[in-house]
Amino acid sequence: MLVDFELIQKAKAGDGTAFNQVVVAYRKRILGTIARLIGRPEDVEDVAQEVFLRLYYSLDQLRTPEVFEPWLYRLTVNASYDYLRKQRRRNESRMSDLSEQQVMMADAAAGGKASGEERRQKQVKELVESLLGAVSEQDRILLTLKEVEGLSLKELEKIYSVNENALKVRLFRARQRVLNAFEATRASAAKSVHRKD
Amino acid sequence: MDQWNDELKSLFASYKAAVPDPEASANFMPELWRKIESRGSVVLRFKKLTQVFLAAAAAISIVFVTMLSVPAFTRSEVSGSYIEVLADAYPTEGLASHGILPRDGAEANTK
Repeated sequence: MLVDFELIQKAKAGDGTAFNQVVVAYRKRILGTIARLIGRPEDVEDVAQEVFLRLYYSLDQLRTPEVFEPWLYRLTVNASYDYLRKQRRRNESRMSDLSEQQVMMADAAAGGKASGEERRQKQVKELVESLLGAVSEQDRILLTLKEVEGLSLKELEKIYSVNENALKVRLFRARQRVLNAFEATRASAAKSVHRKD
Repeated sequence: MDQWNDELKSLFASYKAAVPDPEASANFMPELWRKIESRGSVVLRFKKLTQVFLAAAAAISIVFVTMLSVPAFTRSEVSGSYIEVLADAYPTEGLASHGILPRDGAEANTK
């Protein structure tokens, strides 16, 4: 816990200063998680504000401060999911739509020549986001929380309120889809390099 | 497959490094409170509307209940036996027109 239970209780009782302190304590972590969940830096603050807004109006429903963190993660997951769903409606970006340039980037990111740390990071970012486009918004979020954020199955169980086995099955399927997309990307990158040779 | 699995694992690990936790802008908290207040006014308006709607619904219910219960109060209560009620409804004078004679008259005729 980044804050003590007393502060959460105060915020729950309507203390604005306590609420501010809670937001400041969790802000960076939530911004980071959202950045990796949605993959659009320009909208990260908006989604994070939506998370804290929902937190403010639902804090009175929190029964015990012990479940605060999984609960905050649940709000983050829900706000990110809502955002991704709206985005998907706006513009579809799937693996099948990967451009030649992205395929080249995929190859470079997966072991080709790297020209500078910044460029490499950009390539990794684009590749992972393309790969995550191969699964549904829910699976994208679940997979990111597990594989990127490093949350344990126990933590995910609390966030999603479902049993561990159901989560394992869902994670396995999502991982398989991403793995297939990864293989396909690598294969087409290899082909395009072979054509150039 | 294991090779792809490992590569994917390391790719996810690199992704976390490629997208570090961003710093919030200076406008983050003021904007958050502005959103909270504007949502609060919407919630308050909605609450008021709900209260008005509930009050109106309660008033209409009371009116309906009153309308339904008033005839029940004015309805005359049955007092007496079936025969007495029947005798009140059909006075003896009116029975002759139906060819029914009062009991006393009938007895006199037999004598």
